Parts: sequence; C-alpha cells; structure tokens
Amino acid sequence: MATVVALPLTIPAAPAGYTKAAASGKPTAPVERQVYPAGPSYISYARRELLQLSFEEDDKATSSARAAAAALKLANAEEVLFPGLGEEQEHKDLLAADPKEWKKQDHYGVLGLGDLRYTATDDHIKVAHRRKVLRHHPDKKVDHDDGFFKCIQKAHETLTHKDRRRQFDSVDWNIADDVPNPKTVAADKYCEVYAPIFAREGRFSNIQPVAQFGDDASSKKEVEGFYDFWYNFDSWRSFEWHDKEANEGADSRDEKRFTEKKNKAERTRLKKEDNTRVRELVDSVLANDPRIKRIKDEEKAARLAKKKGGAAPAAKKLSPAEIKKAAEEKRKAEEEAKKAEAAANTASKADREAAKKAKEAARKNLKKWKKAVATVIAASNYFQADGAAPSPAVIEKQLAELDALVELAEPEDVKTLKEEVEKAGNGEPAKAVIKAKVAALGDKAAGKFTEFA
Amino acid sequence: MTTQALLAQLYCTTLALQATVLRSAPVILGINFGQSFASIAVIDKEGHAACIANEDGERQIACAVSYVEDQVYIGNGAKPQLVKNGHNTIMGFRNLLGHTYDEVDHTAILAAPLIAESKIPAYTVDIMVPPPAAPTPVSRSAAPSGYATPIPAEPTAAKKTLTAPEVTTLFLQTLFTSATDFVGTKPTHCVISAPTWFTPAQTQALRDAATAAGINVIQVLDECAAVLVGYRAGMPEERKERGLLGQPEEGTAGEAEARDKKVVVLDMGETSLAVSVISVADGEYTVLNKGRDDKLGGREFDNLLIKHFAKEFTKKTKVALELPCSESASAADKRAEAKLRLAIDHTKRSLSASAGPATCAVESLKDGYDLSTSINRIRFDSLAGTVYRQVDARLREYVEGAGLELAQIDEILLAGSSTLLPGLQQHLSFLVPPTTPITAALDPSEVIAVGCALQALHLANLDSKLKVDDVLALAANPLPTTAAPIGVVIPGATDDLLAAKVIEVGAPLPARRRVSFPVAGGVTALEIWEGKDEIKVEKVEKTESEKAAAAEDEDEYSDDEDEEIRTSVSVKTTRLGAVEVDVAEGKNLVLEIIVQRNGQVSVAAWAEGAEDKVDSFEV
Repeated sequence: MATVVALPLTIPAAPAGYTKAAASGKPTAPVERQVYPAGPSYISYARRELLQLSFEEDDKATSSARAAAAALKLANAEEVLFPGLGEEQEHKDLLAADPKEWKKQDHYGVLGLGDLRYTATDDHIKVAHRRKVLRHHPDKKVDHDDGFFKCIQKAHETLTHKDRRRQFDSVDWNIADDVPNPKTVAADKYCEVYAPIFAREGRFSNIQPVAQFGDDASSKKEVEGFYDFWYNFDSWRSFEWHDKEANEGADSRDEKRFTEKKNKAERTRLKKEDNTRVRELVDSVLANDPRIKRIKDEEKAARLAKKKGGAAPAAKKLSPAEIKKAAEEKRKAEEEAKKAEAAANTASKADREAAKKAKEAARKNLKKWKKAVATVIAASNYFQADGAAPSPAVIEKQLAELDALVELAEPEDVKTLKEEVEKAGNGEPAKAVIKAKVAALGDKAAGKFTEFA
Repeated sequence: MTTQALLAQLYCTTLALQATVLRSAPVILGINFGQSFASIAVIDKEGHAACIANEDGERQIACAVSYVEDQVYIGNGAKPQLVKNGHNTIMGFRNLLGHTYDEVDHTAILAAPLIAESKIPAYTVDIMVPPPAAPTPVSRSAAPSGYATPIPAEPTAAKKTLTAPEVTTLFLQTLFTSATDFVGTKPTHCVISAPTWFTPAQTQALRDAATAAGINVIQVLDECAAVLVGYRAGMPEERKERGLLGQPEEGTAGEAEARDKKVVVLDMGETSLAVSVISVADGEYTVLNKGRDDKLGGREFDNLLIKHFAKEFTKKTKVALELPCSESASAADKRAEAKLRLAIDHTKRSLSASAGPATCAVESLKDGYDLSTSINRIRFDSLAGTVYRQVDARLREYVEGAGLELAQIDEILLAGSSTLLPGLQQHLSFLVPPTTPITAALDPSEVIAVGCALQALHLANLDSKLKVDDVLALAANPLPTTAAPIGVVIPGATDDLLAAKVIEVGAPLPARRRVSFPVAGGVTALEIWEGKDEIKVEKVEKTESEKAAAAEDEDEYSDDEDEEIRTSVSVKTTRLGAVEVDVAEGKNLVLEIIVQRNGQVSVAAWAEGAEDKVDSFEV
C-alpha cells in the first residue's frame, strides 16, 4: 500500500466564497537523470515497469503477496515441533541421579525420550535437550544445583555422537530382550508374537530396511527372504559400553594395556555370544514356523490337485522364471500321473509287488553295473583319439554324465546298458550304445548331456 | 497411472521441493572492494547485514598481495612486506582494471612497479618454485650404508608475471573463502562495489575478475548507491528501528526523516574522495551531481603525519629524514617511510577513537634510532586543516554543480574510513545548518559492504516473475525525473511559498505520493502548485549585549558584521489546480499526487474514511 505521510500542517477551512482556481500553466517537462538501480524502492519501481502495473494494480499485488507471506509465517510460527516432548515432570529418583554414574544412567530417560529410545531422531534429541536445559539450567535453580543438568549434558553428548549412541543402544537395558519359546507359542499367534521381536532385533542391522517377518498369509518367497536375511544378519551391535576403566591413577602403561586387552577380549566374547543368540533364535523360530508347514502343505495340495487334473489355482501374475518352473512341475506331475495310471491298468497287485522286488534288486546292482560301464569307458580311453591323453575335465564330465544317466534311467535300462556296452566292446561302439540310451531318455535328458548327446 | 510414472512424478516433486528450499535460503555476500581496503558483509541468522572479520580477525582487509619466496601473503599480512620486500608486494591494483598500461599512472615508490612490456597492466614478482617431488622417497634406514643421504632439492628462483585482473581474482578469491568459512556454505548471491566513476569497461573487467574467482556476481553496485542502501536512506521507519538516523545538533531529524530529501554521500577512503549529490525520492536514488578527487584521501593525512613525525625525528636524533620520499630517495629512507606508514595506521585509529594523545612508536626508524612520540587531536586537526578545507571545497563544488547550496542539503552520509576522523566530521558540521545531520550511524568503513549485502538480499528475494538482469537494465540509461518540486498552497495565504512540498525534484517517474493533513473542519480547499527551490537569506542583527561581548573578546571573527542565516525555501511558480473536499471535524484530508512518465500530473483528494467522495483533476 502506498504510505500516507502525515504532514504537520493544519489546513483551515476554505475562505468564504472560495472558488477553485484554474491551472495557470503546464507542469515543467521531466528531466532525465541517472537513477541508481539499488534499494527496495527501485525494485518496486522496476516491478511496476516490467510487469506493466499501475500503482493501484501493484498495491493489490503486493498486499496480497504480503498477506500470503504473513499467513505462511503465522502458520510456521504456530507449528510447534514435537509438542510435549521433553516437558514431562521427571521422577524424583531421576532428578537425584548422580552424574558420575553416567554409565548406569538411562540417557533416553533423562531427556524424556524414554518412549522413543532407539527410534528417536536427531531432531527429537535436539528439541528434547533444549527443553530440558531450559527447565533445569542451574541458573534457574535456587541453590544452583547442577546435578541433573550435568546428567542432561552427558545424555545429550552421548546421544548426539553417532558411535557413542550405538554403544549405548547396544546395551540399552531398558529394552526387553526376552523371547518366548517357539514351541509353546500357538500357531495362530506366531506372527503376532515374533514380528515385534524381530523388528526389535533388527535395530542392530547394518542393512536397512530390515526384512519383515510378515504375517500368516506371507508367500513362500517372503518367508524365505526373511530367513535368508536373518541367516546373513549383519549387526553393528558392540559392547564397548561394558569396558572397564583402567584403575584410577594407573600410570603404568602395562596396566593400561592389560585392561585394554581384557576389555577387547570381553567385547569379542560378548559379540560372539550375541551372534550365537541371534542365530539360535532364528533357528528355533524357523523350526517351529507354522508358515513353513503351511507352505509345504499348500505345495503338496497343489501337486495333488494337478495330479487329479483339477483346475489350476487362480492364475497369479508370475515372473518368467516362475512360469517356467510351474510348467516343468506340471509336466512332471502329468508324466507321473500317466505312469501311475498305466501301471494301475496293466499290472495286478501281485505283479506290482514282483516288479517292486525286481526294482529293489536292480537298485542294489546299479552300482555294480555303473562301475562296469565306467570300466568300459576307461578302457576306451574315454573315447579319445588314439594316443591322446584324456583331460581331467573330460573324464570328470563323462563320469558325471554317466551318473546322471544311471539316475534318470530305470534300473532295468541300466542293466541292459551294461550288457550291451560289454557286448559292443571298447571304443566307438560302446559310445554309440550309451548315446542311444541317452536318446531313449527323451525329454528327461534334455540339456543334461553334452559328451553323450 | 503406472507405478513408474507415479515414482517419476514423486521424484520431480521432491526435486521441485529441494529447489524451493534452495531458493528460499540464498546465501548473501556483499563485498566492498576498495582501492586500498576491502571489507565483506553477510546476512546473519537474524536477517541483519553485518560486516564480518576474516580469519585474521580483520574487518578492513588491505588490498595487497605479497610474494615471499614460495609463500603468498594476501591482505593485511602482505602490508608489512613493504618494508623489506616492497618490489614483490602488489598494491593499488583495483583502479587498473579495464585500463591499458599507457592509460595509468605507473610511479610506484614502495610497492611492486608495473612492467612496461604488456598492454594490460602487469607486475613481475620474484618467487621460489618448489622442486619437483623426489621420485621415490627413500627412508634413511633403507639406504644402504656407504650411500650419502640424498640432499633435499632446493626451491629454484623464478619470475612470475601477474596482470592486474589476475591479482584481483586472487584477492577476491581470498575474500570469498573468508566469507565461505564464516557462513559455512558458499555464498550464492554476491554484490560487489565499484567506484562511482568506473566506466562500463572497468565494471565489466571487475565482474570478469570476480567471476574468474568463482563468485556469482549478481550486480556490480556503485559505491555511492551501496552507502545509500546501507543507511537505508528514504526508509524512515527502518532507519528509526535500527537507530540509523543522523543526530543533528538541532531540529527533529533525529526522530523522523522526510521520505523525499537531498543528501550528499561523502566517501573518503584511503586514496580518493567521492562526493555525490543525491535526491532520495521515497527510497529511490537519483543522481543530481557527482564527482571525485583521486588525490584526496586518507593518504593525505598519512603524508602529513609522516612529515610531522619525520621532522620530529630529525629534531630529536639529528638524523636527516625527509618524508614522504621521492622516487629517487635512498633505500634507507624508503624503508623508514614504509615502517612509519605501517605505524601511523595505529596512530590514526587512536586519533579517531579517543580524545587523548595518540602514540606512534617505530623501532629503528633510521640509522638504528627509534621513534617514540605522540600527537594529540588539536595538533593533528591543525596539521590536517588544509586537507579538511580541500574536502570542504570539493563538497561545495559538487553541491553547486547540482545547482544547490549546502543549506539545501538535508543530510550528509559519511562513508570510507577517513571520515571517521572527528576533526573532519566537526569541520563538516560547521558548513551546514545545525538541523542537517552528519550521519555516521553505521561504521563508515563498513557501510559499503553492508549496503552491498543488503542489495544482494533485495535482489535475491526478487519476485519470481522478474529477472535480476531485466531489473538492473532498466536503470542503464537515464530515467525521466521530476524537474521541479510540487507542493500545496493554502488558499488565501499571503506569502509566495509552498506551504508543504509533496514531490521533490528528481523523483523518478511515474511517481506517487500520498500525504494527509489535519484540518480545521468543514469545506477545505487546497491549491497544488509547482515550485522552485531557493535560498532565503536573513540577516540577523546582533543585539547590543552580544556586540558588547564581542567587543570585549576582541576576536578576529567577532567583528560587527551581521550574521547571515541561509534557509532553504520553495517559491511557488505555476498553479496546477485546486481541490475542494468537505471534511468532518477530527478527520484528516488525504491528498494523492501522481506524476506520470510524460510529466502529466493527476491529483486526487478525499476525506479520510470517505474514499468514494474524491475531488480530482489532471494537468
């Protein structure tokens, strides 16, 4: 708004019979002069010129801008950071705390952050400290007692130093560390009980965010991810807080070194203990996790459902790898189902028992037959050109493939393989027989054989 | 919307938020870059502009660069090098910016001389180049017995040539670093001062040098404008709040200030004097006249003091010492001058600060003799009287050049460390009517830096619709301003004067003023006239008793001449029109005058609280 300047000149009423006098001339033409582009008034002038505003329009624009700025300022002023934080009345025991006993002091409690503890942000600490200091400064006390003030300063010093805060958090005795026995926890309460426990343990993790425990409905992937995380848990927890000071006035370097060494050993021991504790916790929780059982059951049910040709479970959006895996599983299930059906159709119960016996006998002989085939392969110089020594890689590969072949093929097939290989004799004919067997495996062998493909 | 698009949008919003945070917190720096001294100012946490000290604790940082072997001294540390290492000490480089070698004066008595070979003024200094690092440092124990330990390589002597802009860049860089260290972050918006008489080429050279130093210069501001911004001239409320109003010997200017007034900015630094006559029109600064004397500065006082002390030294020790010495003087004399110059810096400060005698002590000034003496204010003022009178003559000259008289000046604003001398301030106060304040409410040696910082703050908080360059470009050419004052005349008044001035001479157009008058009540009329500033001379006849007292004194000055009192008045010349408003008793009459760019005047008047009943006319 235009400033109205009050002039100290009182104007009398117009003389009686006064009529407005007309102009006696034109105002003098303006003169061009240098103007300094400086100061807020010049900027206002430039704004009017550049934005083509008249005085009236500019008044409106500036007054609305000013109102907006004032409203913003007011809004900012009203917003008090963390209302109530650090303003509670301290317990008289806390007020009587001895600042010398700072190792036993609850630093969060002193600053009134007892509820937030390790979740308190730097801002929380800053604000709480400021409010505490305002109330407990010795200058505000009648007797200038600075005991609690020193406690506040020590707490602030500890909590604002990243390393010191971690040391304190590591041993914070105000955070319960009890874990209920997984065996006694009801399956339907399992997640409810253990999710907060793992969230609490996760505060020591170097990797943030920590994997979530999840709930009863968590998928296999989520549950596996969770246990993977905890088996690879990377913790910053350390136990410097329990270090013992070297004896007062111990000038001896040896004594200091001795204390240092003892402290270090103790720290390492505690750290190791803690790591074991976490691993055992994860072990026992995993062993009793009802979700693992549920997932296994679900998988089994899915297999059975497929076996019965039931409708596939509601299509979920899956990654290409998962789709492939699912397709493979489906195919295997179908094959098995077919085989089972064929066996059921053709053979009577007795037959089946006989076949079973034969199969078991064959399995016993598998090793023997395999060894025979391997002997033939070795005698054929691993199908290498005459005089060329087979490389270890080739030998290993061929034997591995032989293992695979024996595993995939039916025991009877292995028996025929052994007989045919021995009949064919050393060299290329034997290889041709093995190759034929591999080919007979069909889809099962796809991609698994290179030497005998 | 897909998740990715959503994320992208979120990211953009975060960036925009960050940008606004950055925008809302500009880091401000104002640099006063003088010929002899520089100072820096920043905006502190409370939003006040404050001149800061560099890491050596100096607010006045000497513009000097000295090369001593492989070390470089910049600032006040470089000045003592004048004594032993004068030819490697560079001083007075600012005024060379934008000039060629032929254009500048190149007589250097103490400091490094300019070299004649280059077109741009340049200096050559001796430096020591550190040796290249040894290829593989061999530890002593590893050296096989029988081998001598390798001798560490000696730095080698070399010559280094620096042009004036390079020295400027180097110097500004140190100022910038000091400010960065003080604030904690790099200043983002910087305004740097340049003398009133700098040509566009020189201004550009200064801007380039500052840019090369990594400084974001948003404006190269005229020193005089910086002084006006620093004192917040034309902003009475702010001046009152900060206690910046001048304290005149008489009158009410100490409590309030007119929004339109004529001021003189007197900037007397170490090397030169600049006088600007400015019309402050509601906070806009129009130049009525300006000028400088590049021989008149604190150096003159130094020379007088040196001469005085040298004489005293000769008197006491019988050792001939003629100071200030010429170019052909002996090395001993030159060294004595350098030592004495450094010492009297302190003497001058003591003279400005306290009324007692100021000491000056130099160990082994010449031929092993020490100087230890003192000078009091009265002695100094009598020495410096000639310089004071020169300042006074310059002041009159430029005020008269603006078509004014000293009696018409409403305020004198002081800047530059030499104006701190109380003798000078007192001398100036005798020149102007006692109602005119001589203002040094801000430390005159800091006001330019403070003004630069404030200006940078104003520009940094510019409306988002405006660009700094556009804003500054508007004033690149002269702007139309009012040629004559406009004021009001009460109908029926018998004298030919304006009862009150509403718009002053030199107000940039378009201009608007709103004034309110208390009224007696009833139908009130006002005539609007254009006027002319004149001087009314009144002769005050001395009373008999005064004459008698004067006769008793038998003083030179108290002869029988009558005292003249010269006051500034505005005579009415052209009537523009009249307004007539019915105002209820107890209400004020509000008068608005707008002068358009083409000189057209529109006047409106209304009773306070009755904005709908307006009487207006246009001429």
